[in-house]
Amino acid sequence: MRRGLRRYGTVLGVVAVVALFWILLPDTFMTARNWLNISQQMSMLAVVAFTMTAVMAMGDFDLSVGSMASLAGIVAAITFMATGSTLAGVLAALAAGLAGGLVNGLLVSYIGILPFVATLGTMTVYGGLAFFLCGGKTIFGNAIPADFSGFARGGLALGGWGPAIPHLTLVAAAVFGAVWLLLEQTVHGRRLYAIGGNSEAARLAGVRVQRLRFLAFGFTGMGAAVAGLMYASRVASANPTQGAGLMLDAIAAVFLGMTMSEEGDPRVTFTLAGVLILGVLGNGLTQLNVDSYVREMLIGAIILIAVAAGSLGKSRER
Amino acid sequence: MTLLSVTGLNKSYGGVPALKDVSLALPAGEVLALMGENGAGKSTLIKVLAGAVVPDAGGIGIEGRPVTIASPEEAHALGLRFIHQELNIVPSLSVAENVFLGRRYPTRLGAFVDWPGLHSQARKALDMLGLGDIDTRQTMARLSIGNRMLVKIAATFLDEGANPPRVFIMDEPTAALTGPESERLFAIIAALKAKGQGIIYVSHRMDEVMRISDRIMVLRDGGVCARLGTSATSRAEVIELMTGRGVSETQVRRAKPLSGAVALSASGVSGGLLRDISLEVRKGEILGLAGLAGAGQSQFLKLLMGHAGRGSIAIDGTKARIRQPADAWRLGLAYVPRERRAEGLVLTHDITHNTVLPHLGWLSRFGGFLNRRREWLLTGQVTGRVRLKAAGLHQRVWRLSGGNQQKVVFARAVAGSPSVLLLDEPTRGVDVGAKFDIHTLLRELAHSGTAIILASSDLPELIGLSDRIAVLRDGRMVSIVQARDIDEPKLLGLFYGEAGLADAPRP
Repeated sequence: MRRGLRRYGTVLGVVAVVALFWILLPDTFMTARNWLNISQQMSMLAVVAFTMTAVMAMGDFDLSVGSMASLAGIVAAITFMATGSTLAGVLAALAAGLAGGLVNGLLVSYIGILPFVATLGTMTVYGGLAFFLCGGKTIFGNAIPADFSGFARGGLALGGWGPAIPHLTLVAAAVFGAVWLLLEQTVHGRRLYAIGGNSEAARLAGVRVQRLRFLAFGFTGMGAAVAGLMYASRVASANPTQGAGLMLDAIAAVFLGMTMSEEGDPRVTFTLAGVLILGVLGNGLTQLNVDSYVREMLIGAIILIAVAAGSLGKSRER
Repeated sequence: MTLLSVTGLNKSYGGVPALKDVSLALPAGEVLALMGENGAGKSTLIKVLAGAVVPDAGGIGIEGRPVTIASPEEAHALGLRFIHQELNIVPSLSVAENVFLGRRYPTRLGAFVDWPGLHSQARKALDMLGLGDIDTRQTMARLSIGNRMLVKIAATFLDEGANPPRVFIMDEPTAALTGPESERLFAIIAALKAKGQGIIYVSHRMDEVMRISDRIMVLRDGGVCARLGTSATSRAEVIELMTGRGVSETQVRRAKPLSGAVALSASGVSGGLLRDISLEVRKGEILGLAGLAGAGQSQFLKLLMGHAGRGSIAIDGTKARIRQPADAWRLGLAYVPRERRAEGLVLTHDITHNTVLPHLGWLSRFGGFLNRRREWLLTGQVTGRVRLKAAGLHQRVWRLSGGNQQKVVFARAVAGSPSVLLLDEPTRGVDVGAKFDIHTLLRELAHSGTAIILASSDLPELIGLSDRIAVLRDGRMVSIVQARDIDEPKLLGLFYGEAGLADAPRP
């Protein structure tokens, strides 16, 4: 019973929050349009949180994702200006994300720096690099191709039925599918969780721990770059600080999700729930005109309560 | 005088009884051996005495006085001293600081640590055990596992005027000790007895128990199943009482000559402590690996699982490049590491995930996708083969007893039908029933042609199972002997390189 409560407590919390907003905002909250709006608002956070789940499955962190998202946006914008090609810009941003992620992986896995320290360092480096490349200025206007900025404004209309599903939502859904396949359905995912459970045992049981950690960080770096591109497309500009808020929220979403998993493992389906909680809270509180500072305090407190309840339940069980 | 008495102790976890009406009395100057399979209730009983678990019912008396023990500090104040198999040490601190771990350091001016006092008191405690060779200023990490254990034992002798030790509770104290280190401990136990102190001794090693205990109490399924005088019973009787079934203790040694092809050969392997080791093991052979603790047995097995040092390794006659364990598994080696919890298992994962971990690659489909049905079938098959007792294949491994956890490690090792099986202390901390199952499995595997390298500090096991035994000393291989030509004293002689035994038979 207590175990059930611990595991499903967070889910019950979500239901309660949704019900509350539904009652307080009867006309606007529980509408298809609002939910599509929520899904679009949280799509960038979702992409970062989903790919972050892969490194957190190994018990690691990546603090550099926010800076990497900003850097990817800048790299894309600069490439747009240099080549005039949208595709080249997108590919350059993704390559930068992969390379940055692999640098993290190199530092953590082959050189052996703690992930916290290594990615704290690269967070600063990537953030600084973003400023350096754009000269500290926001890149906007004609520098951003119309097809690139048009992408985020568009959506997929389902045969004229109902509101269109935003492209950004579809991107997030596709990333979710890819991460789910990787973590839940492939041998690589299983090995990542084994590393997270006991990395020395995993190594002795034939898991190539170093290589897998290296690659997982690369994957997370790419995820951050995708989010950076989504952001740049949405605001039709690139700014060296625009990804700054992503890292903490993404880690918070994974932690919220972990409170729902039986053994406290990060699972991408639960990360999705964590992202939803943050997204719904943000949306509902904004609609209720709650001050944004109060909103931040509330969200922080909710994360602490959920995680504290989870670990209390666990220590009592053992 | 009765030092410690326990009456009518009951404890259950979520309706499952762990202790059922357990009573015992420990007179001064006596060694009481506590025997039972894993899960019989020994650990729970010890935890109650240590103040770590509160019993549901029952009383504890010290020298006739009823007491309650609500915390480890209270147990300590009552004169109970615990020596656990899992070492509670801080490797980066000095020996002296580890002796004082959990106690108040001696101080000067009420606030500053009295370092000279700390070292001299630790010195005194170590000297009581005859550990004059251990410097109190070196870090714990530099000591061998056996010496670390002896330091922790010495810590229980710290002179603390106010609450002198009365009863020592030793849980598998010799698990990590070499023969001579164990002898040192037995001498200390004898001295404690003579001083009128009491000892509760828990061990899976029958030889020790028969030798040093005065009485034996057998626990089974949480209840006291028998109280025996050691001199009036036999190993077979105790084992039968513990397991509830007759176990033939006589090890059947295979007489057949070994004619299989060479499965694995190492030539000139060096690295770490190891110097120039050359040996080979044939299909169907069990090659024992022996020596004092830290002579290089574990290191050699680890080196076979992946090394960058000098020398070469050939499997089935083909030179093999094994740079990491993943290569070793792929080439048909399988490994049962020494520390099953730290090196063997992912405790939070279930039995299936742990069993198939090294085999995920060849079990997968569509180039890397999990094939859960095949995983489940294979796990069912191999866990049956190792006689695993579990509630289901999705049970989390941390919920299993030590013996069953070890069987999961074995299930993993045999799941890929390895050609060479590397075993490091495969029955350490495992109860008699599981040990018997593991020995049976090893004989079956050897019979069907698997080559096995067995490192074990359990000499009867080593001599009983092996065909040949390779003896290591300080990282060098000093001899290889036929197991049928050797007994324990001779083998110990080889460990030390005693004169007159150095010319032991070579193959």
